[in-house]
Amino acid sequence: MIPLELYILLASTMFTIGLYGLVTQKNGVKLMMCIELLLNSANINLVAFSAYQPNVNGQVFALFSIALAAAEAGVGFAILIALYRLYGTIDLDNINAMRW
Amino acid sequence: MYADYAYLIVALPVLAFLLCLFVGWHLPRGGGFLTVLATFAGLILSLGIFSEIYPDKIIHQSMPWFANFNVGILIDPLALVMLLMVTFVVTLIHTYANGYMNGDPGSARYFAEAALFTASMLGLIYADNLIQLFIFWELVGLCSYLLIGFWYRKPSAAAAAKKAFLTTRVGDVFFLAAIILLYNNLAGLNLALKPGEYLLQFPVIYAHITQIAPDQLTLIALGLLGGAVGKSGQFPLHVWLPDAMEGPTTVSAMIHAATMVTAGVYLVARMFPLFYAAPYGLTAVAAVGAFTALFAATMGLTSFDIKRVLAFSTVSQLGFMMAGLGVGAAVGTVAVGVSIFHLIGHSFFKALLFLGAGSVIHAVNTNDMREMGGVGKYMKWTMYTMLIGSLSLAGFPLFTGFFSKDEIIVIAYEYGTLINFLPYIFLVLAAVLTAIYTFRMWFSVFTGKERSDYGKHESPMVMIGPLVILAIFAFGFGYVAQNGFYSYLDSNFEHYDVDFVELGIIGGHVLEGEHGAAAEGEQGAAAEQAATAEGEAGAEEGPGEPWYIQILPIIIAIGGILTAALFYWDKVKKFDPSQVTGDKDPIRKMLLKGYYQHEIMTGWFAETVVYGTALICNMIDIKLVDGWLNWLSAWVMGFAQHVRKVQTGVVQNYVTALVLGVVVLVVVITLAIEVGLV
Repeated sequence: MIPLELYILLASTMFTIGLYGLVTQKNGVKLMMCIELLLNSANINLVAFSAYQPNVNGQVFALFSIALAAAEAGVGFAILIALYRLYGTIDLDNINAMRW
Repeated sequence: MYADYAYLIVALPVLAFLLCLFVGWHLPRGGGFLTVLATFAGLILSLGIFSEIYPDKIIHQSMPWFANFNVGILIDPLALVMLLMVTFVVTLIHTYANGYMNGDPGSARYFAEAALFTASMLGLIYADNLIQLFIFWELVGLCSYLLIGFWYRKPSAAAAAKKAFLTTRVGDVFFLAAIILLYNNLAGLNLALKPGEYLLQFPVIYAHITQIAPDQLTLIALGLLGGAVGKSGQFPLHVWLPDAMEGPTTVSAMIHAATMVTAGVYLVARMFPLFYAAPYGLTAVAAVGAFTALFAATMGLTSFDIKRVLAFSTVSQLGFMMAGLGVGAAVGTVAVGVSIFHLIGHSFFKALLFLGAGSVIHAVNTNDMREMGGVGKYMKWTMYTMLIGSLSLAGFPLFTGFFSKDEIIVIAYEYGTLINFLPYIFLVLAAVLTAIYTFRMWFSVFTGKERSDYGKHESPMVMIGPLVILAIFAFGFGYVAQNGFYSYLDSNFEHYDVDFVELGIIGGHVLEGEHGAAAEGEQGAAAEQAATAEGEAGAEEGPGEPWYIQILPIIIAIGGILTAALFYWDKVKKFDPSQVTGDKDPIRKMLLKGYYQHEIMTGWFAETVVYGTALICNMIDIKLVDGWLNWLSAWVMGFAQHVRKVQTGVVQNYVTALVLGVVVLVVVITLAIEVGLV
């Protein structure tokens, strides 16, 4: 059986990559992908701990989380499309109407 | 049985007020008959109560309201005679108003306001505590404002209403201050009140006057006097009364005779024990009253407006009543009877005079006496009823005014022998002037030949009827009621736990009755007897005066009338309007202008003191109050200008801040756990 540490390492790596992308990238779609990475790293943790517990609760929770991520992605892309129609770009540097 | 329905005396006029206000438009004559009926029902109830409780019972009903306060009805002799007078006179005035206001487009509004006015005055009279009295007191003020400004499209009427409201408000502030002060003092005593007793109930106040510090008593008495001065048109707050003539004449009659101005005198009479115990309390009352009596009488001498003459006469007579109460310092509770007797008598003949003047104005269509003359030829009823009223006001022997006013002068003489002759001198001079200006008015209106082309017809019976009834009372009331009235009112304070000898010691008064008690050497036991005996002693003082003091009022009245006849009776001296129109004579001009008080108040006082104060206040407001606030808001704005830069609109910055925040939190919590804080 694969040791738990490896799962956690994988999840941490994914989370860090996602966070890095979130902070550095400008493109809206890339940001969406980074957010998916964050969510899925958390899901990996949930499932891994659940398998080692052993307790099925974590896996059920991961399922919920996936459904949530799907919904979030749907809303997020809808917003991006709306933004694109309005500004003709999804480069977030140019979309700053809400700043001071 | 009637006592159980005492609340209806106020409730019915309130009902009439609501009906007239909301459905009066659809009723004949604006629903005036409702107002008459409601007041008449009050008169019947008052008479019923009178038959039940005369001569030695009182009615006191009360229920809790909130906190330390209650609502209640207190009908003692003082309140009862006032109730009877107000309901009687006001019923007649409302009846008369049905004729007088006929055809006025606002008659529904008039009768609604008049009903509320009546209700407030009646509520004021039988309130059993100061708070309730104050509420009705303010309602009276409000209604007077509404009624004086009844013809509100006329700028002078609107201004007069405002003046009346603001001037009486000055007095009311003092009154309110006195109530608060009195409440504080009573609350500070930590009294063990029985159930059903409340701090500001009159019986409770009476019973605990002796426990309040004398200097506090003086402050309270002066505050109450301030309220009375405002409401009863005493100097220097009398300025609103002559201007109040702008309302319909029936309103003037109500204000001047029954409902409003008597409230101040009533308040002083109601709180008489407190005034009696307060050092300088009654002295101040006597000084204000006596001065006002003379001061207003001089102004009545020169006015050409028939209603203004009567208005100044009211101010002057109210001065008599105040002085009558004030000289109670020398004669004790008998002063209340004497003063209230004049109040009642005055309300009869003053209502009569005002309604008569209204009848004249109704026909002649002017207030200016220079344009009248010879009206008597066309208005016999009005002329003779007015003659009775004038004789009564002038104090002609055997008329009501003779008994009431001259009794005040007599007790003022007693006050003079014991304390100070000034009030007496002032009152005697005022009485001379009263006779003169009254008959100046009567002669120049009814005798002589017409000085202008006016309407020549008598008023309708609905107006003449009340005049005749009032004339009967203005003639006969004094003779019939005098003795019974004094003894009945003397018994007023015997219903309460109040010891006038003790109060007199606090107030520093020397009493006739007290000497007697002291001479017998039974001070403790005799104190109570002295309190009751002192009233009788005071009442019996009358015949003890020198004969010339007894005769003097008669000489005053007849002399004054003759003097007026000399100058204004057509048969003696032809009246020449051009002779009196000029204001070259500086004294006449000064009197016409009311001692320039209006000019001083609105000119000098308003432009220097008030405007200057306003400028300073304005500066403080702008520089200090607003300035501090503006500085604070400017600083906040400036600070925010910098801080708002945080909102960059760049998502990455937010994310970075969020992550950094989480990191900081994690570090801090971890450290805390490591150190062992958590």
